[in-house]
Amino acid sequence: MDFVNKLDTDTFLSILSRLHDPSDLVRASGVSRSWRDFVIRYGLSKNLCFKLFHQLTCVDRVNEESSPASSTSLIDDTTKLLEREHRAFALLAKGCTSSPIRSCIADAISASSTDNFPEESIIKTLDERVKIGATPSYWSSSGQHKASVPETLLYKLKGDLCVVTEFSIHPFQAYFQPGSPIYSSHYVRFRLGHLDNKNSLEKNNYVWTYTSQQFAMAQENRLQNFKLPEPVVCVGGYMLIEFLGRVQTQETDGLYYICMAHVRVMGRSLGKSFRLVDPEDVSGKFGLKVVSYCDPKEMGEEEVGQRPSRQRRNLEQLLHFMRRHPV
Amino acid sequence: MDQNLVDLTEKLSLSSNKIVLTSSDGDSFEIHEAVARKSQTIAEMLDAGCTGTIPLHNVTGKILDRVIDYCITHVKEDGPFEEEEEAEEKEAKKKWDAEFVKVDLETIFELILAANYLNIKGLIGLTSQAVADHIKDKTPEDVREIFGIENDFTPEEEEAVRNEHAWAFEDSK
Repeated sequence: MDFVNKLDTDTFLSILSRLHDPSDLVRASGVSRSWRDFVIRYGLSKNLCFKLFHQLTCVDRVNEESSPASSTSLIDDTTKLLEREHRAFALLAKGCTSSPIRSCIADAISASSTDNFPEESIIKTLDERVKIGATPSYWSSSGQHKASVPETLLYKLKGDLCVVTEFSIHPFQAYFQPGSPIYSSHYVRFRLGHLDNKNSLEKNNYVWTYTSQQFAMAQENRLQNFKLPEPVVCVGGYMLIEFLGRVQTQETDGLYYICMAHVRVMGRSLGKSFRLVDPEDVSGKFGLKVVSYCDPKEMGEEEVGQRPSRQRRNLEQLLHFMRRHPV
Repeated sequence: MDQNLVDLTEKLSLSSNKIVLTSSDGDSFEIHEAVARKSQTIAEMLDAGCTGTIPLHNVTGKILDRVIDYCITHVKEDGPFEEEEEAEEKEAKKKWDAEFVKVDLETIFELILAANYLNIKGLIGLTSQAVADHIKDKTPEDVREIFGIENDFTPEEEEAVRNEHAWAFEDSK
């Protein structure tokens, strides 16, 4: 009854590429030798990654520790390459769709401006508490005369690859000021991207590959959630939050400020399994390095030894602050 | 749906020719040209000058009958009579399609082969999806049984596949 044998390549492709669950595709490769060869030869797990997450199309190869070549034929090498790709991209697809969703900010990097450093630095937004003991915990921008001047906060996410599902922002209410003003913004927008490796002259330039819609912020003292219409893969691990349109002036100086108590990002970090390898050629496409073939359920766990030291971050921020406020 | 089909049939009979398709086992079907042209293969034959009867050696009468049903239902898409479809109509078509593929796997396969041969894009998609739905959430053993496929892996090879992707085999039924 084996009809599948009668099908031509295009039709079989048409059938197998409708399997959108990576587990189904892998199980299909376990049916028989010819099914396995087909799945591997036509790169179906890589195609599935690209179909599920368009952002992944900037990753085009798998870099693995090269094992000593046991064969010298080109065909064998190509087969091994395709097998490696199949295994890696199948795991990537599964990780992107079903590893646990957790908070995925690894660190706060810098703010476009900070009023009082370090009391009102971006680091404060990592803690969900609005007040720690008697001390308020929030980031404040510097003051501006014009309400149209935007502000940005830059964060590092956990891992080079992170599937972001939702952002949450808690504007800060200055309960210690008369009237308890809330220093929110009109709108908020998010960008995801990677470090710009091409431009080595200017350090710390970023390439933003995804920009969200503008979300309206409520002038309310609560954690506001912004769910993305579809989960988005952050390739590179960096996130920029843009606050657009200031709404609140400070009574003492009449300037507009933006202050945020807490920033949270929910998503699936794939850091335990995958690293990105910088583009090697003009195509600008990244390589994918598989660090561990762990179970997708465990992918969200902390990677060991990857977090930048907090002390170094503080120093960087202090230098950044001083550059902007020369004595 | 019925009223629409009547309107459509009236439109068609005002404008186009009739084509006769014959199946491999001798059945004949007379259909409107617009319906026949849902098949790229037949459209090309007509454009190349074929007229009257078109013999289809690769398709049985039973399958051709169903294929024609599909073409009539979907004739409004991408054709000379393409119109803005209302949501209701789209919904009705979806239901019709769902019923259409509620047949045994052998028939679905024959439909795929026919759709392929006749090059009817929508039908290829519909039947491919139906086959994919039979593969979803099944273990390799189930799939082999359903499709009558021989397991030509050695035990070691099969073990290797399962180990490489252990996560895919954990909660398979």
